[in-house]
Amino acid sequence: MLRYILKRLAFLPLVVFGVTALLFLCLQFLSPEMRASLYIKDPRQLSQIESVIEKYGLRKPMPVQYALWLKEVAHGELGYSETAKMPVSEAIRAFFPATFELTLISFIPIMITGIYFGVLSAVHRDKFIDHFTRFVAITGYSLPSFVLGLLLLMVFYGKLHWLPPGRYTLETDMLVHAEGFRHWTGILTFDCLLNGEWAAYVDVVKHMLLPAATLLYISVALLLRITRSSMLEELSKDYVRTARAKGLPENVVIYKHALANALIPVVTLASLLFIGLLGGVVITETVFDFPGIGRWGVQAAQQLDVPGVLGATMLAAFLFVTANLASDILYAVVDPRIRVGD
Amino acid sequence: MLRILMSAVLAVGALPAAARSASKNPGIFTYLTIADADSVDPAWAYDTASGLVILNVYEPLFQYDGTSTEKLLPLIAEKVPSRDNGLISPDGRTYTIPLRKGIKFHDGSPMTAEDVRWSLLRFLLVDRAAGPSSLLLEPLVGYPSTRGDDGEILAHVWNDVNRAVTLRGDDIVLRLPRPYAPLLSILAAWAPVLPKAWAGKNGDWDGGEASWHKFNDPSKETSPFFDKANGTGPFKLERWDRKTKEFLLTRNDRYWRAPAKLQTVVIKSVSEFGTRKLMLQAGDADTIYADRPLISQLQDIPGITVLDDQPTVEMNPVVFFTYRINQVANAFVGSGRLDGAGIPLDFFSDKDVRKGFAHAFDFKGFLADVMRGKGTQATGAIPKSLPGHDPNGRTYRFDLKKAEEHFRKAWGGQAWEKGFKFTIAFNSGNLPRQTVCQILKRNVEALNPKFKIDVRAVEWPTFLDAYKASKLPVFVMGWHADYPDPHNFAFPLLHSKGDYPATQKFKDPEFDRLIDAANAETDPSKRKQIYAQLQALEFEEAPHLVIVDAVRYRTQRDWVKGWFNNPIFPDSPYGSYFYTLSKD
Repeated sequence: MLRYILKRLAFLPLVVFGVTALLFLCLQFLSPEMRASLYIKDPRQLSQIESVIEKYGLRKPMPVQYALWLKEVAHGELGYSETAKMPVSEAIRAFFPATFELTLISFIPIMITGIYFGVLSAVHRDKFIDHFTRFVAITGYSLPSFVLGLLLLMVFYGKLHWLPPGRYTLETDMLVHAEGFRHWTGILTFDCLLNGEWAAYVDVVKHMLLPAATLLYISVALLLRITRSSMLEELSKDYVRTARAKGLPENVVIYKHALANALIPVVTLASLLFIGLLGGVVITETVFDFPGIGRWGVQAAQQLDVPGVLGATMLAAFLFVTANLASDILYAVVDPRIRVGD
Repeated sequence: MLRILMSAVLAVGALPAAARSASKNPGIFTYLTIADADSVDPAWAYDTASGLVILNVYEPLFQYDGTSTEKLLPLIAEKVPSRDNGLISPDGRTYTIPLRKGIKFHDGSPMTAEDVRWSLLRFLLVDRAAGPSSLLLEPLVGYPSTRGDDGEILAHVWNDVNRAVTLRGDDIVLRLPRPYAPLLSILAAWAPVLPKAWAGKNGDWDGGEASWHKFNDPSKETSPFFDKANGTGPFKLERWDRKTKEFLLTRNDRYWRAPAKLQTVVIKSVSEFGTRKLMLQAGDADTIYADRPLISQLQDIPGITVLDDQPTVEMNPVVFFTYRINQVANAFVGSGRLDGAGIPLDFFSDKDVRKGFAHAFDFKGFLADVMRGKGTQATGAIPKSLPGHDPNGRTYRFDLKKAEEHFRKAWGGQAWEKGFKFTIAFNSGNLPRQTVCQILKRNVEALNPKFKIDVRAVEWPTFLDAYKASKLPVFVMGWHADYPDPHNFAFPLLHSKGDYPATQKFKDPEFDRLIDAANAETDPSKRKQIYAQLQALEFEEAPHLVIVDAVRYRTQRDWVKGWFNNPIFPDSPYGSYFYTLSKD
């Protein structure tokens, strides 16, 4: 197992090189002036653009430029985001924790619901529960997230006044900005707990429930469908028939034997889903006025904020590489043939 | 299970909408808007989103009396100068302004006459490009910029401003090179008082002659006043969170008048209208920004009041053409050449291009569908609420044949033959401006398949930076009066040193001559004639496209008390002078 993990880790620099080289090549479609503007904070510095080009070697041969650019990136110098009105690295630090929290609070319910109902649907094939879960899955998959988000807001906020949009209430806002509040992790829910602020913790979680529910409903469909089809395939195999013939309890057959084997495609999908959520969920963040990385990334793209787009892309690439590695490792956990083969 | 779920949803749907009679948060007032501020430095900021915060945190010498745009009341000043009270000299060139005593800044330090003098000097000398300093430079020193055409600081500026603004005991004395009627109106909205000592301690200009050059036309974020405030106003700036685009103002309990009734004011940018509306309905917002096309979605909601037909002193929206575009790092101009994939940087210097666009705009359709029949087609840069407006001024009519004629002539026929491609920008969330862009795109593209226009929404502060850098080939903005005088429209919209022409790189000596002549003219009828000439020239040259003379509406919870509309206030009628507001 360790050998397998080390082997996968050895590939990591190669993947990182590939990703950064691709991003760098994309940048080469821009003129040196446009690339120099990545580092410009004040529009009046445009008159000194030549000195910026000189400073960052933007007219030098491509390999030299690549090396210089990598050096800047390694130092966290990703340019200045006009959209966020702050350096890109600072913008990532500012917006990512909110998205990360939203991902955490959505992902676990998505996994539990998707797998549970996928299994249920497969086990009760063509019964009411199968039809019902498939109906729910299809509506979730086909409903645009802004429609669902607004509907949820109308009901749970507009009518019931239970779950408001935004990040937190004014009281929590004052509290988290007060001098005594320590930002241990940058993740608000954790920080509220670590500061012993239970009311603030509840408030922050309350503000995340609706966006999390939206994400759950629109994301669970695919997971449910994949789990169902994978389970159906496993349930029709000989080893399941054998297990049943041996008199094993049905729960053991389903959850210990069939599900374990059905999880391989689910793991792939789960890792992609996780990356998707971490990369930011644009519409959901916009509808719920949630200051996450997705909203910033899209605003940057709309406004031709190249450093912003580049920063968001770099982050997404980094997350993809990491999640891919995690899913490779998970494969080995759920499927011994993979680690044995390696 | 399905039945249970269906019943639950239906039960929830049957609940009555929130129509609470008592406010949710009595001491907290929340205004949801679409634009974040640019800066809260009163010498830098020149946009309504920033102006709203400044209005409530700082105080100028005078203020408008309620809804009046003419009658002034003293604020930091003790009296409003007039010829009758002898505080304006008989020749109209010297103003003596006694100052109120006992006023303190938010940090507790006392306000002095020297603070007032220094604040006026700072307002004049900061003079950032296309900023507000020209509003006072013109009347006080007789020229609109501290820099010459070459961008170099004029040698005589320091002496001129110090001659113009002096102290006599505890009175401010202003000496003008020539009489300037709107001076007091300008001082009722601009150059509020800032603390000199606090500024010096925090790295801003200390008031010395040796250092002022360093603070002329500075970078936006270098001043401590950019995101911090220490004024004398009824509210203190607690925090500007640029991540959540939110201002938090708290009551100044040491205010020299009775403290405000509201304890906290939140000004927050929420781009999605549906979310703003729901927050208003739920009582978490007390007023929201909403454009004219959305009015039907806000009417007849229990607990919400729509106050329509609010007068304005503005020209909005206006389509501006940039005569010489800044190419550096500019993604709005495509290839930068007339090759069908871009436009040359001086594309809009051709009058036929501008007129082609002017005739391609459907004014009647816009008024009927977007403005819901409210307002009239603008006949020139000066709105009908001001003297100097020419109701008979010529206007462009939607005529695609004429538009085609002009485009065929443009660039010696090259524009029609090769086509063009560029991007029009507007500030995101502004529905009428977005529609203006879309109408132009649709109609111009319909003329020739080689004409391609992209429409792009840009966040307000980013939009301002791009426009200031002359990077936008065509952009849709508006002009809200700084003070109620036709000069405040003629100058910023048509004078080569004005806010828009300076960034459009539009310069015509005849325009400048007429504007200067009208400003110096004291006979109202002669002044009106000059403005009529100016607006005729404006029609002929078409440096921009004025669209509508509008009225606006405000939406607020019915528990909001004490609101009045003064159309001069920045962000009127959406934003407010929060001092007079309260909630039941």
